[in-house]
Amino acid sequence: MNKRLIALTDRRKLIVPCSGIGKTVGEVTREATRILIEELRPGVFDTVCLARIMMDEEEDTRELIRTSNVITIDGCPERCATTSVKFAGGTPVLEVLTVKVLAKNRTHRPKSILDIGEGGRQLARDVAEVVIENGGA
Amino acid sequence: MSFIPKVGLIACSGEECTGGNVSRMAALKVLHKLKPHDTITICLPLFLAGDSGERGFAEVFPTITIDGCGKLCAARSTAKYSSEPAVKINVEDYMGPRCRGKEEQWRVNDGSAIVDKIAEDVAKHVEELRDALRDN
Repeated sequence: MNKRLIALTDRRKLIVPCSGIGKTVGEVTREATRILIEELRPGVFDTVCLARIMMDEEEDTRELIRTSNVITIDGCPERCATTSVKFAGGTPVLEVLTVKVLAKNRTHRPKSILDIGEGGRQLARDVAEVVIENGGA
Repeated sequence: MSFIPKVGLIACSGEECTGGNVSRMAALKVLHKLKPHDTITICLPLFLAGDSGERGFAEVFPTITIDGCGKLCAARSTAKYSSEPAVKINVEDYMGPRCRGKEEQWRVNDGSAIVDKIAEDVAKHVEELRDALRDN
């Protein structure tokens, strides 16, 4: 393996969900992040606050974004998580769009933002699996 | 009949710690259960990404920010990109610096006592702001 590839492999793996509060798919991104961090790959992934990426005045969060393998999980096509990571100087290694995952299986539909329901939890698991299948870990 | 604007709620929803989750649940509780007709929520990621609708609302109408920790990302970003929030809530004032503890990071729900307390306080602030706007 060449040095650059080893460096990329050794980098910290960060999941950045959009966590949008206005749409149910925003809540699904949070659940997908939890599934990845707690259930599917404990100890492999970490996360960082989206607002901190944008408002970090000491630049340590932005440095973290620039030096990690960042996977963004966006709820809607506004792609706020991806936009924020790029604003901070990072380049996501994988960008997952929840509504696209939903389009592949419309039975996994979230119920509401207060309770995404069984459909929403299934969708979150679908999103988490997309991350794993695409080399997220 | 005079127009009384709704109050915008802006939660940090930070992923890294319990406080961010509490801020989100408290905002959603006010929005959907306690003051559904008097509040709207502003999506902080969309606001930060530069959405003119979200920023425009916060520039003209009163907002309440709910932050999970002392970094006050929601309050600072609202002030930076729109106007100073009418009220700034810091979850740490209610539960201390819980950002260090990860055990409850994903487990807080809208039935928790701390979420209830913060949501009730935010609802009171909403009433006060709306009353003040009505009197003007």
